[in-house]
Amino acid sequence: MARRITRREFVRTGSAAAAAATFLSGSSFSLPRRAPALRVGLVGCGGRGKGAAEDCLRSSEGIEIVALADLFSDRLEDARGFLAGLGHEGVRVESERCFSGFDAYEKLLATDVDLVILATPPGFRPLHFEAAIAAGKNVFMEKPVAVDPPGIRRVIAAGETAREKGLAVVAGTQRRHQAPYVETIRRIHEGAIGRVVSARCTWNQGGLWKHDRREGESDMEWQVRNWLYFTWLSGDHIVEQHVHNIDVVIWALGAPPVSAVAVGGRQVRTDPAYGHIYDHFAVDFEFPGGVHATSFCRQMPGTDGLIAERIVGTEGESDPAGSIEGARAWKFEGKSRNPYVQEHDDLVASIRAGRPLNEARQVAQSTLAAILGREAAYTGKRITWDEIATSDLDLTPRAYAFGPLEVPPVARPGSAS
Amino acid sequence: MASEEIRVGLVGCGSRGTGAAEDCLKSAPGIRLVALADAFSDRLERSRRYFSEQRLDGLDVADERCFVGYDAYRRLIESGVDLVLLATPPGFRPLHFEAAIAAGKHVFMEKPVAVDPVGVRRILAAGEQAREKELGVVAGTLYRHDRKFQETIRRVHDGAIGDIRAGRCAYNTGTLWRHDRKPGESDLEWQVRNWYYFDWLSGDHIVEQHVHTLDVMNWAMGGPPVRAIATGGRQVRVGPAHGNIYDHFAVDYEFASGAHVLSLCRQIAGAHGEVGAWFVGTKGRAAPYSGRIEGESAWSFEGKAPNAYVVEHTDLVRSLREGKPLNEARQIAESTLTAILGREAAYTGKSVAWEEMLASDLDLTPPSLDLESLADRMVPEVRPVPMPGVAR
Repeated sequence: MARRITRREFVRTGSAAAAAATFLSGSSFSLPRRAPALRVGLVGCGGRGKGAAEDCLRSSEGIEIVALADLFSDRLEDARGFLAGLGHEGVRVESERCFSGFDAYEKLLATDVDLVILATPPGFRPLHFEAAIAAGKNVFMEKPVAVDPPGIRRVIAAGETAREKGLAVVAGTQRRHQAPYVETIRRIHEGAIGRVVSARCTWNQGGLWKHDRREGESDMEWQVRNWLYFTWLSGDHIVEQHVHNIDVVIWALGAPPVSAVAVGGRQVRTDPAYGHIYDHFAVDFEFPGGVHATSFCRQMPGTDGLIAERIVGTEGESDPAGSIEGARAWKFEGKSRNPYVQEHDDLVASIRAGRPLNEARQVAQSTLAAILGREAAYTGKRITWDEIATSDLDLTPRAYAFGPLEVPPVARPGSAS
Repeated sequence: MASEEIRVGLVGCGSRGTGAAEDCLKSAPGIRLVALADAFSDRLERSRRYFSEQRLDGLDVADERCFVGYDAYRRLIESGVDLVLLATPPGFRPLHFEAAIAAGKHVFMEKPVAVDPVGVRRILAAGEQAREKELGVVAGTLYRHDRKFQETIRRVHDGAIGDIRAGRCAYNTGTLWRHDRKPGESDLEWQVRNWYYFDWLSGDHIVEQHVHTLDVMNWAMGGPPVRAIATGGRQVRVGPAHGNIYDHFAVDYEFASGAHVLSLCRQIAGAHGEVGAWFVGTKGRAAPYSGRIEGESAWSFEGKAPNAYVVEHTDLVRSLREGKPLNEARQIAESTLTAILGREAAYTGKSVAWEEMLASDLDLTPPSLDLESLADRMVPEVRPVPMPGVAR
């Protein structure tokens, strides 16, 4: 009768179950006043991972960061110092829960964490997500969630397993948790701009950081540290960054695209220090019903920036970041919490309420749409959704080990495989 | 000139010029091709040989009306012709068009009509003079003379698809010819023979080729755009043999109505090819290249439109004979500037406004060249391939 309560159930059912469990164990009659802490482990201690851990901590009561994993100990120590510096009581990272190396994620998953934040370069995401779900952990994972179609299929499958196991999965496509977006897109779905006939999305910006190769760094170490610039790690910037805007268009249109025609190239950022990715893409996505959406993304210093989405309907237009124009004009004037924090709040609340969110399929779809655009540009071909969804294109390196690793050639449309 | 004979001179004897002259001869009775001009004698002779092989009616090119050299256009214009066909590389068009109009000649000119804003303004000004002088000016944007396009776009303008909310246009193809440098060719000769690949001669392929689709866009939209944001690059067709142009562009054109049109153009071998324009409105969709309207006023063009390459000349000649000369100078200048706008938005990485482009001082003629008295000793420097965000 005193069935063992798993840690996960304990976390989920909160104080009532905790009280019962405590009572049944007979060890104490003192009732906990708050939900038990949710124990969080961070896999991937870079800028985004540190940020996500902090956002998670600040999102709700009773969050503890207890474990860290990174391929590189220096990055791990940096994150540990950063977290300690927050002066937050929820930071409880003991040395024995700090793991480095390619298998650091496995070691972290073997600890008693309830929730893992997956924030490594995206190329590792399918592997880490699968392992986390297999280990029965709730997951917050940064976007994008894969770099190739086999990776997408692994994320979708593990997402299904998560559903069966009652595990929560939230992705770092934070606009989905941003009140102005949520409100605007609800209105679009309710017909505020009539029938949607076109859409546009753009992520045009300058350059980003790069990691210059240091003496003694193997190919693998240099590539992983300089991961933005290798398609097997980042998926290229259309996948790594522009996925945010593509996700909004898919959200507004209610379905993923059916095909894509695209152009792109590596025009300015051509130094080998920047790997082999492109610096610009433009995609004509076709959606069901013959609706087309335009996608532009560019990373070139000195050019004009624009990060935006636009949804065009028969009766109006919308900037989904908070406004409707036309007969049913409207502007979001409510309060909006920092979406990077809100996404963790929503995740934690869903776990505690026993109604776990599961965004795995959603973010997998948006990631695949970005991959579709990339491959249409890389090959110069028109590619359908079904083709990319079933494609065998696998960018995984032969082995996850420090040592030699060739940089693939820059894609040449018309001749790419 | 009711049904009088029209004496035609061809300036620029490449394949497009030769084709235009043939189309002109076939377009109406009473047309005589009497003069040819080209920078190079071999091109002129090749064209002349082709004409005689075709045994076309109205062919009457005497040796003394064959002009060779960079100034051949001027001598042809002075040789007693009524109508000149301007079909040299586009970089020469403003100079040749101005000279033709100044000399009181009717003009058929191939698209595009300039490569830079300075050239576009010269076309606009000479086009105004043509109007004052009642000279006919027709451009080689042949879809304007294609019944399928005319009927589709008339329906669009009549409201068949409601208000246009968005559109797309594409000119995605494989690669084109190229002229490899031959021994003894000066820099200038090589560039002029290999003109497609030099910005100052062709305007890049978005201007040289995609102007067709952009012209259809402007036609359907009722005028040129107000702004462009673009990307582009030179990804596959690299190397000095291909001069300094790009091999792909993508432009987001914004119109005064707030509607946007996506423009894609690419010249890459082995890539997906597609040429067309599509518009979506509040009540339906239109595809002028397929002659189709979808929606409440669904319609599709039946039958076969007459060859627009010929019809454009028929329309020009008829307008001359009726004393109501067509004047397409502004229309083609605007479509050319639309393409230049997209190109410059891609080259610079900046958002560029129509008014800004229209007033721009950008002049692509290499400073070492004097187009009015070109000579092989002049060495046209090849500008570096544009790097967005980096001033040239």
